[in-house]
Amino acid sequence: VIADLQRSIVDAARSTWVHDFVLSDGKIWPVLESLHYVGLALLFGTIVLYDLRVLGLAKAVPPSALHRLVPFGIAGFLINLATGLMFFSGAPDQYVYNAAFRAKLIFFALAGLNVALFYSWAYAGVRNLGAGADAPWRAKVATGISLVAWCGVMVAGRLLTFYRP
Amino acid sequence: LDPIFIWIEDSPLSRWVTGEAFPWILVAHTIGVGFVAGPNAAIALRILGVASAIPLRAMTGFFPVIWLGLLANVPSGALLLIGYPTKALTNPVFYAKLACIGIGLALITHVKRVVLLMDGDGAARAEARAKAMAWMLLALWAGAIVAGRLLAYTHSRLTASSP
Repeated sequence: VIADLQRSIVDAARSTWVHDFVLSDGKIWPVLESLHYVGLALLFGTIVLYDLRVLGLAKAVPPSALHRLVPFGIAGFLINLATGLMFFSGAPDQYVYNAAFRAKLIFFALAGLNVALFYSWAYAGVRNLGAGADAPWRAKVATGISLVAWCGVMVAGRLLTFYRP
Repeated sequence: LDPIFIWIEDSPLSRWVTGEAFPWILVAHTIGVGFVAGPNAAIALRILGVASAIPLRAMTGFFPVIWLGLLANVPSGALLLIGYPTKALTNPVFYAKLACIGIGLALITHVKRVVLLMDGDGAARAEARAKAMAWMLLALWAGAIVAGRLLAYTHSRLTASSP
């Protein structure tokens, strides 16, 4: 069943116009990769920096104000989602049959679930947190998970190349 | 320079880099990118007016993240250079990357001194200059990242002994 599913995902991705576009010019893939890395830096410079502050680094920075950088992290994430989907469409077999890609998806799901956990369970405790203040333990747990999850996404992503079929 | 390149490429260290260690050296280098370029971008965005409720001086608290990132990037970058000296040193893009990083690091330490630590002390007068430097920081780190990524595609030779 899984083999059939993998096969049909690969076939479906190959039948899209995105697939044809990504492979239409040898320069497109390197450009997408460059954008993917810029998006990564944007995500790390905002979301991960926020995580580090809540965990206790740079306490003179008020988390309430630092949270204003998060939309830039979301922008970085959207760049990476778009370019990532284009990679997948371009060479679906390299991702579907790839253990590192599965690891990346697991870390990615963890990061996504943790966003829900953070805003529903922990954000109230840091929403108005000012300079010098220590964050409550719940926020530290959620930002700690975020830090691990995004690093995991990046490590697994970088290892993709070496687990290609 | 080819004899030097061949000597490096034939060394056990170079062979270790291009062999079993290669994926993990790239991982370290990529994590470093996130932790160096990321905070640089955050500091630049703050100077440009995003999250302006953060005191500029407080942003200096993120500098240890940059230094920690460099601690991952510089040794891993040096190892990658030992792994593929011909590939890097015969490619103009590699020198563009190094220039972006060198100028970027000099600029962020300058920005720390004359913008972040001077917060509230003639800061308004220097605001236009500070913003220009912030845009430069964003351009330099994006340039370093793009140049670095394109190294995989723009080299004319991989090793000194290969055609």
